[in-house]
Amino acid sequence: MRMRTLALSAALLASTAAFAADPGVTDTEIRIGDVNIMTGPASFIGRAVALGSKIAASEINANGGVNGRNIVIVTEDDGYVPSRSFQALTKLIEVDGIFALNGTSGTANVLAMMPLIEENNLPTVVTTAPNELIYNPVRPSVFTIGASYEDAFYGQLKYIHENLEPENAVYGVIRQEDDFGVTVEAGYDRAVRDFGLKDGIRLRYTRGTTNFATEVAQMNAAGVNVLANGAIIAGAANVLSEARKLGMEAQVASVWSENMPPSVNLSAPAGYDYLVGDYVALTGPAVDDFIERARQYVTEEELAGLNRYTYVTYIGLKVLAHAMEQCGQELTRECTVEQLRQTRDFDTQGLSGAISFDNDKQLSGTAIAVYQLNAADRTFKALTDFVEY
Amino acid sequence: MRTGHFKESYGQLVALSDSRVTWSWAGFGIALLIALPLVAHNYLLTLMVAAMIAVVGAVGLNMLTGTTGLISLGQSGFLAVGAYTNAMLMMDYGWPVLLSLPAAGVVAALISLLVGVPSLRLKGLYLAITTLAFAFIVNHLILHNAWLTHGPNGIFVSGAKVLDLDIQRGRPLYYFVLAVTVLVILLALNLQRSRIGRAWMAIRDHDIAARVMGIDLVRYKLLAFMVSSFIVGIAGGLISLQIRFINIDVFALILSIEALAMIILGGLGSIAGAVLGAIFLSFLPEVIRYVFALFGDPNSTLYTSYVYEIRGIAYGIVIVLFLRFKPDGLIGLWRDARKYWSNWPLAY
Repeated sequence: MRMRTLALSAALLASTAAFAADPGVTDTEIRIGDVNIMTGPASFIGRAVALGSKIAASEINANGGVNGRNIVIVTEDDGYVPSRSFQALTKLIEVDGIFALNGTSGTANVLAMMPLIEENNLPTVVTTAPNELIYNPVRPSVFTIGASYEDAFYGQLKYIHENLEPENAVYGVIRQEDDFGVTVEAGYDRAVRDFGLKDGIRLRYTRGTTNFATEVAQMNAAGVNVLANGAIIAGAANVLSEARKLGMEAQVASVWSENMPPSVNLSAPAGYDYLVGDYVALTGPAVDDFIERARQYVTEEELAGLNRYTYVTYIGLKVLAHAMEQCGQELTRECTVEQLRQTRDFDTQGLSGAISFDNDKQLSGTAIAVYQLNAADRTFKALTDFVEY
Repeated sequence: MRTGHFKESYGQLVALSDSRVTWSWAGFGIALLIALPLVAHNYLLTLMVAAMIAVVGAVGLNMLTGTTGLISLGQSGFLAVGAYTNAMLMMDYGWPVLLSLPAAGVVAALISLLVGVPSLRLKGLYLAITTLAFAFIVNHLILHNAWLTHGPNGIFVSGAKVLDLDIQRGRPLYYFVLAVTVLVILLALNLQRSRIGRAWMAIRDHDIAARVMGIDLVRYKLLAFMVSSFIVGIAGGLISLQIRFINIDVFALILSIEALAMIILGGLGSIAGAVLGAIFLSFLPEVIRYVFALFGDPNSTLYTSYVYEIRGIAYGIVIVLFLRFKPDGLIGLWRDARKYWSNWPLAY
């Protein structure tokens, strides 16, 4: 009798161990974390990311959740400071008990969280900082969606060279002095080599620079009429504004952050119909359909804050939910990571190229589409489909 | 009530305090800190580690700004020097952490001479700008010497062990940082009441009079820079151990401003003030978050749309109110409370 009791107890203990849920999973909900830029000058990016998570979660929950479990998003602010990202993720893991991580901010912020992500085998989808440092070396539970700035600039410069190149074209690049700027210049460099472009000038600036009068004057002196503008938001607008003051006529390739409404509002007055390369759709039926569906879940004020970061975060959570769905009721981090690895041709309903993580870098969504701004009415038109560069 | 201070031996003369009550409370405090990991959540331990690292940095800055009167906005640069030195020695050259961490302080101290020597004749705002420039130069050098610093890619820091314990996680990290913090505070306390500390205070109060009295301004100002930077470099090394990844984005200029805010809020010139200010500002965001969770309505649009901004504003308001109504800082508040307690029911 005693032996039977002991054997039964042991069997029960073993069985509970096999089915013990990972943190963040209950019978009714799954907690997904976001560590975003919710305060500071770049908070409009973080808010857009949070919106993407909210819309995706609401849509998933409206359709029965993930195997009956609702997605609950828990957001922490890192203010774009890497040490705060580390602290925020510690809180999400230790206090809020998240199951996986979706929304993230910059490259340095993700890298600061990486030791915690690896330690906890946290399924993580990185959509806003697709820097090579994130996926090289590849971390087992980290999946990256997005193209590199190198490919984005290469694609734009290729298009300009083939379709919009002015006579006696002189190319130039201005880029930030950090890892982001290095990739911008890499794309420029590749285009110069591949197409034999005339390399007029390469300029670097310190992050935080707001006045580019000197740099633009140097570009003007070098005769640049095709510019790879690696500045962002206010900086990019200042570059264009200074160029207009000097009467420079130029084709401009830009960072994908320049397709966000606040950036467009800053840059458009300079009158340049600049190009952007992006790995998500900016216009077209896919975006219209997304906005229509989003109206059910967000306020009009929130809708005005939608931008490309909303779309990429939305895609990230949809892919994550799809992987979790494949695990059935016995949802674990290990199973989710395995399912993410097997993800192939996940349909994003036209918001980006199809998502496939079954490669050695666990990287997807690298195809770039090139768009051009109409500075007069501040709308974008697609110049190319999604193309792998 | 005590009526005087009677020292009967050299040991009593050099003791940090002659009050049994003070020693009892200090011992109680240390015991509490040692026992904390046994009951506290991991997240609280993370906050405590961050607060203790802030204490180390604030005590270091206090020696330069509070005790010697030399304003510095270059703390983020010295933090970066310490962090990168520790990271490079550990990861690229395989040094053990018990050697790399002091080395981080030594390198920061030596580099502070580059700031200190040109700054000898400068005071106030001019010195602040010079030290600010140093912070920018450090960032630039880190970015453009990738062969040494890994450039913009940053450095992952791992493998720090003491007695075979991984001191970059959980309780071992907490105890290691606690030990370093206690040592730094003891160093600062002893320096402040030594001949060197008195010379620093004389320079702060009136540097010309100090010189007239025979204090070598060059020597003592440079010493202040070096000792302060040594301690701040150690704080930088501790940051690299805790976060386990560093790049220049971790050492933004705002850190210099926050460090100044800590020592001003705590009480300029006081080591206890620097400790209190660092702890106060480290925990303030969490306290505000907790208050919001208690009294905020998660269903209101105002709350959900603007909670982060409101928290940021609340953070600033608390600091401003404190400086307006208690310019002596937290240590002034403590002294007033102690005096009130000692004198009650009498007014004085």
